[in-house]
Amino acid sequence: MFSDTSSRLSKVLAPLLFLLPALAIYLTFAIYPTLSVVQYSFHDWDGISPDMEWVGLGNYLEMFDDRIFWEAFRNTFAWSAFIIVINVGLGLVIAAMLSRVWRARLILQTAIVLPVVLAPVTVATIWRWMYQPDGVINEAFRGVGLEALATPWLGSPDVVLFALAFAHSWSTIGLSVIIFLAGLQAVDEDLYDAAKVDGATTLQAFRHVTMPALRPVTAVVFILTLTASFKVFDIIWATTQGGPIRSSELLSTYMYKRGALENNYGYGAAIGVALLVIVSLATIIYMQIQEKKDA
Amino acid sequence: MKMFNKLMLSVALGSAAAGAAAAQTEVVIWVGGEPGETTIYETLADELSAANPDVVYTVVTNTSDVFNPALVPALSAGEGPDLFTFGTGPGQPAALIDGGLVADLTPYYYEHGWDEVIPEGVLMQTSKDGKLWALGNEVESTGIFYNKAIFEEVGIAVPRTWAEMQAAVAALKEAGYDTPIGLGAADKWSISHWQSMMFGRYAGPEGIENVLFADGKWTDAPFVAASDRLQQMGSDGWFGPNPVAINYAEMMDSFWAGDLPMTFTGPWVINGGIDAAGDRAGQYGVFQAPPFEEGQEIVPTESIGNGWYIRSNSEHKDEAVAYLNALFMTTEGRTKLLTGGMVPVGPLGEASQNAQIPEMRAELNASVDRYRDNGTVPAFLDTITPGRLTNVAYDGLQALLLDAMSPEEFTQELQSAWEKAKEDGEAMEQGGVAPR
Repeated sequence: MFSDTSSRLSKVLAPLLFLLPALAIYLTFAIYPTLSVVQYSFHDWDGISPDMEWVGLGNYLEMFDDRIFWEAFRNTFAWSAFIIVINVGLGLVIAAMLSRVWRARLILQTAIVLPVVLAPVTVATIWRWMYQPDGVINEAFRGVGLEALATPWLGSPDVVLFALAFAHSWSTIGLSVIIFLAGLQAVDEDLYDAAKVDGATTLQAFRHVTMPALRPVTAVVFILTLTASFKVFDIIWATTQGGPIRSSELLSTYMYKRGALENNYGYGAAIGVALLVIVSLATIIYMQIQEKKDA
Repeated sequence: MKMFNKLMLSVALGSAAAGAAAAQTEVVIWVGGEPGETTIYETLADELSAANPDVVYTVVTNTSDVFNPALVPALSAGEGPDLFTFGTGPGQPAALIDGGLVADLTPYYYEHGWDEVIPEGVLMQTSKDGKLWALGNEVESTGIFYNKAIFEEVGIAVPRTWAEMQAAVAALKEAGYDTPIGLGAADKWSISHWQSMMFGRYAGPEGIENVLFADGKWTDAPFVAASDRLQQMGSDGWFGPNPVAINYAEMMDSFWAGDLPMTFTGPWVINGGIDAAGDRAGQYGVFQAPPFEEGQEIVPTESIGNGWYIRSNSEHKDEAVAYLNALFMTTEGRTKLLTGGMVPVGPLGEASQNAQIPEMRAELNASVDRYRDNGTVPAFLDTITPGRLTNVAYDGLQALLLDAMSPEEFTQELQSAWEKAKEDGEAMEQGGVAPR
């Protein structure tokens, strides 16, 4: 009896002991800072002074009246939607095509994945150079007689957000492609053969075989893309700093401006918490939709 | 036995050396700049260390994006450099002062005769509550840098009136220079240099002080007129077709490559420009923009780039002050600063005769001196107004250039942000050090 209890206890404790180091690291470097940000968001604090003034929901109430916060909010949604369409939609198509290519597959795969390993600041520098008014993109348009399409990409409030979102997608789509490729390898080839026998075209096979089979993988890519796109800061800061006239201002850049540049860490933290809530809500809603579909 | 004696002697000598090293005081100095670049600060630190065997001055250089994020946590933790350069005016310096992280320099101000060197205008930006918190570092003025070879090629002279300026720009455009005046407005701060200069020209030194320290408003007529003129210049293509799409560094590269006739900037570009232009460095000159309106005076801009602060709990305050004295209070130090491309605060006197100053720098100094009697206005309003106002100004200036905002709307936005900042106690207070 005693030995049974001891064995049961050790069965419960042993995994906990193994988990402890990872848990300690997670609590110290993820949970504690997150809770600290929540705590700061209820204070008026300059980031330096030892005293923080409790303002309750003051920072959150200010946020509701802050025109620039809502501009950044809209921009962040447009930014994320664009990136999700490219990284999830196009990423899936590229992966499906790559899975059917045998010659030069490795070269193509490497070419698509290579930008993923570049530092965001390097990506920003490359695209800033390409997007110059007399940069390679505009010169290419001029070269083929499409001068009307040449535009000051980073200087035009109408296109800057999508120009930068495209640059971001270029540097991150490789990861989506790799995940989709892994998922595609797990799809049973017999399903394609059966579809072929039933007279399905390539497009129909993609729609009725590939896409449903990849639903769990798509969910992973979607959530990864969503969270990553909401957190983007580097590429914006290294190119436009949210300009021109806030047209590429995201919640992340606005949080930095209000928090670090204006020494208003309490308000910056409140924006950070809002960002966290938005990403969490979007993820939960998407997961529930997926679950309903699966059911 | 001999061996034992030798060993004991070595141990004794070693201990003595270790003791001497332990007795040596290290004064750590953090300055902004490119890592690896040897600055005048390091040269002076080496000289001062050599002259004082008991003290070692160690200079650490870092770019501002690394510098500030490292400095604030270090100071908050009661550590960090003994002496460091940092911005002046409101915002972070005020937070450092209120947080008790920097030392009150007022006793040194009187004890070491700093009061005879630091001008009142600089004192205003480095003092708070009647105490001195920073020793103003170098003075920076802005001006129109121009390519003399292009001017000669197009057949234009340095404009002295607004009509001449308009004619010069028209001639340059006619000659195929799409961008007569380079402006890398993707970096918003570079437009704010124009804003500072033009606000100063239209409102004069009193008008600026009236807003900063009294009841003047950014919506007052001179500021609206200045914004209107800036917008007009942008609409007329003075800054090229897409100034907002180009960043400052790329614009300066084009300027030193000889592709742009003019740009409005400050002395920090001179040394790099001389290197970049090489044999053509002599082609470049500096002048003050002519009056923007009939009857307007040329008022040069002048601001301090940053200030020197001493950590409040540093145990080496006197040694840090000795370094500052060697740098700013001796003719030798001031000469070295001038030769190194920096203008120390206060009268230059003998130092300006001894220093070897690049031609471009001399032209900039002369252009400021010529009009100094008209007073001076801040070169960088963005460094002496709260961050909240700066962000609004930056976005608004881009909007002006893109014709997305009227001058009235722009100044109204400035005023709203200013009122909010004043309400929250973020605006700079009238400085000055209490009499001893």
